Amino acid sequence: MLSRVGERIFWLARYLERVENTARLINVHTSLLMDLPEQREVNWFSLITIFNARQTYFERYERANEYDVMFFLLADPAYGGSLANALFSLRENARTSLDVLPESIWEQVNELHLLVKGELSSIGNRRRRQKLLLTITERCQCIWGIIANHMSRNFAYDFLLVGKHMERADMTSRILEMTSMLLADSDNDTSKQYESLLWATLLRTLSAQQMFIQANNSSIKSDKVLTFLITDSRFPRSLCFSVNAMGNYLKYLPRAEAVLAKQTKILNRLQQYDVKHNPAASIQQFMDDFQISLNALNQDIANTWFYPDFSVA
Amino acid sequence: MKEMWRNYDPEGFFDELMFSQHQPRGFSYRLMDYLQGMDHEAFQQRVSESELEMLERGITFTVYSDAGNIDRAWPFDIIPRAIPKSEWQRTEKGLSQRIRALNQFIQDIYNDASIIHDGIIPADVVYNSKGYRPQCQGMTPPHGVWANICGSDLVRDQNGTMYVLEDNLRVPSGVSYMLENRKTTKRVFPELFRLLNISPVDVYPEQLSQMLSSLRPDLSNPRMALMTPGIYNSAYYEHAFLAQQAGLILLEGSDLVVAEDDYVYMKTIHGLERVDVIYRRIDDDFIDPEVFRPDSMLGVPGIMRSWRAGKVAIANAPGCGVADDKVIYAYVPAMIKYYLNEEPIIDNVPTWLCREEDQLAHVLEHLPELVVKPANESGGYGMLVGPHASEEKVEEFRKLLKENPTNYIAQPTLNLSVSPTSCGDKIAPRHVDLRPFILSGDQVYVTPGGLTRVALVEGSLVVNSSQGGGSKDTWIVDDSTFAEAD
Repeated sequence: MLSRVGERIFWLARYLERVENTARLINVHTSLLMDLPEQREVNWFSLITIFNARQTYFERYERANEYDVMFFLLADPAYGGSLANALFSLRENARTSLDVLPESIWEQVNELHLLVKGELSSIGNRRRRQKLLLTITERCQCIWGIIANHMSRNFAYDFLLVGKHMERADMTSRILEMTSMLLADSDNDTSKQYESLLWATLLRTLSAQQMFIQANNSSIKSDKVLTFLITDSRFPRSLCFSVNAMGNYLKYLPRAEAVLAKQTKILNRLQQYDVKHNPAASIQQFMDDFQISLNALNQDIANTWFYPDFSVA
Repeated sequence: MKEMWRNYDPEGFFDELMFSQHQPRGFSYRLMDYLQGMDHEAFQQRVSESELEMLERGITFTVYSDAGNIDRAWPFDIIPRAIPKSEWQRTEKGLSQRIRALNQFIQDIYNDASIIHDGIIPADVVYNSKGYRPQCQGMTPPHGVWANICGSDLVRDQNGTMYVLEDNLRVPSGVSYMLENRKTTKRVFPELFRLLNISPVDVYPEQLSQMLSSLRPDLSNPRMALMTPGIYNSAYYEHAFLAQQAGLILLEGSDLVVAEDDYVYMKTIHGLERVDVIYRRIDDDFIDPEVFRPDSMLGVPGIMRSWRAGKVAIANAPGCGVADDKVIYAYVPAMIKYYLNEEPIIDNVPTWLCREEDQLAHVLEHLPELVVKPANESGGYGMLVGPHASEEKVEEFRKLLKENPTNYIAQPTLNLSVSPTSCGDKIAPRHVDLRPFILSGDQVYVTPGGLTRVALVEGSLVVNSSQGGGSKDTWIVDDSTFAEAD
């Protein structure tokens, strides 16, 4: 497989996962805001914080109202992390990888692109926006379904799965960080009062609520949620699961030893996570470190397979 | 939808589907009967379905303009163009004959040049041709075949006689649209395929792959790639589609490198891996900056060295463009006689060579009636279409012809055949041509039918997609079964 194609496939998976996660995150957050009273800590701007886009946002917007935040995150052509831009990159990467992907992937990606292009103007309407985001989530799942059921377990597949879990782990850690910050910052009782609602929202954002309840058979408490989302080995959106999954596919790639060693190190740190030493309020540093190590792993992947030294003797 | 057909009138042009204004041809009777039996709304429904289909599958071509590049949906007309199999079999033989002669010609030019020594073609016509590459002298590609993929443009005149208008054998495009058009017709008119026996076209990618593989008889499983100029090329969709369908590695010049051992390698996640066959979709001017244009960023330095050493096969072979020249075209019937000792099965459009004094005199005298073409342009550029041109334009060409007669040919303005085409609220006759694709490796394969291009603008003869042309699915219909019914 060409290095260039490997890179495009890897990013295709990241964008596909990003589009799905962004759509779900915004929908769940909207629903949370409907449940909360008007208050300071949790608002539309919380979403901007999750995407780490505070500065970019205030370069062009004065206030963080629903419409502006939604436009910024979903449609703003000037914000690289907007859903529309992720979708555009997804389509470009699919368009340039037609030769290694199942035929119907391109059709699906293109249809999704057309759908969103036609509906973006309606994002000011909450009901239509919710519906659109739900459709986007479903379409993304459909594409993953095609990949799972129609693609040989070849190198292209390996890069897709590594990319998907890399993106997922990154997003999960951001959302965990955000929720913890909200709780840590709150000096009034309002947030405390809604604490279990917040954690339930977090679980739904990662579509983890049902599996969490099944596994824990208990009410939703921060310690259990954190432990579940960081260390659970069977839930496919936990950090441990994602990082472990990356290893499962990286190991098929040539010259993977150094990258695998780094991946194992990250996995070990996660497995050793103990909520007693890192309670919810202090999780921020842990997640920052995790995100930095994930970026370094991404860089190593690029250096090993996408941009190695090709000079000919 | 009878009312859509009420005013249908081919007006003296040869109609592909209609024998007369209201009488379908024998092989198109069932198709016509079906279409005319549909009600208007149902028909329009199918039209919208086909448009949506093309858009959703992302079948686009790029239009370059000052306002930026736009990806446009491929314009497709849902009424197929049909050709009876009995006629097509002869055309197929003719195309096969023609490509054999053309390949022998190219092989001859770069080796013994006997056709020149024997006085059949003047030396300057060949050596001054823009497509002639002295760097290819002495080469013999596998099977002596240079033009592995050829797309010949066929047209009919008002009597229904089929002619070859030109042979595209540098990097002909359009075959993916032939395949996509069929796929779309199957989705929007599935019932039609029960009524008629239509030759399938979707074996093309497999045939392409076999042909490319035959270019390395020394290897049992050669690694094959399609080299594209990149995503900004207007035919990128086709490149990606063919790579996907034929199992070729889609790559760009920057993915390749020629090592000291003169083999071509691609940059993979495993390191460098050898490539054995390259289907290039890039003009030979650009393939090797060491040999051709030094400013080319699209090519691979050293690839010509590798090709000459037989370490990589390139399709089409560099230098084959010498036979894709409008002046040399005029000599193809003579080539067929010279190399094959056969009479041409499909004729050229009658052509005057402006380099010959008496022919030039005739051309200058009849200039406003004629089509004048420069030797080496494609896509309809640099042409004069006499009957549609202003007086100044005609005079401009008169001057050009006198200054540089060797660079031009002239042909009568053909009354291209028409075919029923959906035009908004009505069905109207529109001019069509046909581009079949011919593969030559260890054997020759001709697509059954090809890409029918249609000039969607009333009265227009321009079928190019960049200039308002569209396309149709093309059916080769088995007419042996209903001979009696006619």
